[in-house]
Amino acid sequence: MTDKHDHLDDFELDALFASARKADPEPSPDFMARLFGDIDMVSAEVPPADAVRGGLFASIWDAVGGWIGASGLAAATAAGVWVGVVSPSSLDNVTNAFFGDSVSVSLFASEDVLGVDG
Amino acid sequence: MAFDHFAGAPDEALLVAFANGDQAAARLLATRLAPRAIGQAFRLLHDRAEAEDVVQEAMLRLWRVAPEWRQGEAQVSTWLYRVVGNLCIDRLRKRKRSVGIDEIAEPADDTPSVSDRMQDNARLQALSDALAEMPDRQAQAVSLRHLEGLGNPEIAEIMEISVEAVESLTARGKRTLAKILAGRKAELGFGND
Repeated sequence: MTDKHDHLDDFELDALFASARKADPEPSPDFMARLFGDIDMVSAEVPPADAVRGGLFASIWDAVGGWIGASGLAAATAAGVWVGVVSPSSLDNVTNAFFGDSVSVSLFASEDVLGVDG
Repeated sequence: MAFDHFAGAPDEALLVAFANGDQAAARLLATRLAPRAIGQAFRLLHDRAEAEDVVQEAMLRLWRVAPEWRQGEAQVSTWLYRVVGNLCIDRLRKRKRSVGIDEIAEPADDTPSVSDRMQDNARLQALSDALAEMPDRQAQAVSLRHLEGLGNPEIAEIMEISVEAVESLTARGKRTLAKILAGRKAELGFGND
């Protein structure tokens, strides 16, 4: 049984934590080599679902323009999905909004806005 | 180096790329995550070799879950904090069973003035021993808050509990720690008045 007086106070606990936080070891090259070896091992165990190996993903990645291109691609995909699921009547509304049911164009103003007719 | 392909890519994207067969993506992810994971494990275990074993095990699990990784559900870093923390707590438990805290070698230097470095080592060892004595969840919360310096919302996500539960666990954990370390003040460099 300990006397509560013996317990570390908040100041002492903070000092203890501060000492521990100073310990910040860097991974050694040997250790990183172990991690990389595991990556190779797991890759060999389970081939990717589409059987695409090595740098093909990166090649495709480059082809779509990296992360910036991919975000544009994602937006285009989302737009494509939207177009695919909306009903034809909804699309009619969209096309009508752009083009109208019928268009009439008058080359001459019906009113004499410039007052040339006196 | 193939790393250039993925410069700036989120961790999750690198994991998905690895699941699609790109080992360079996994190497970059390992290079990014290993330093912090090693730090977390070492601060808990105070043993370099054990810390490396834990991180290697955690990363191996990460590569194996890559094909089933559910995008958007959790950040890779959050997942890794959780797995490294759990593996370390498991090791501390085994250590506790095999060696009583009083049997663990105390710092060799008993001269009045020890170097700062020795004092830091002694404190880290005492802290690691004490964490082994604490209830798991308290030890996790205290280490994530006070050793890793994470905020309560992030800890809540890692431990899959509410922020209020984190606050409660951290507060109780500090009291438990203060009690476990009672009587070791002088050894830790605190005046035992």
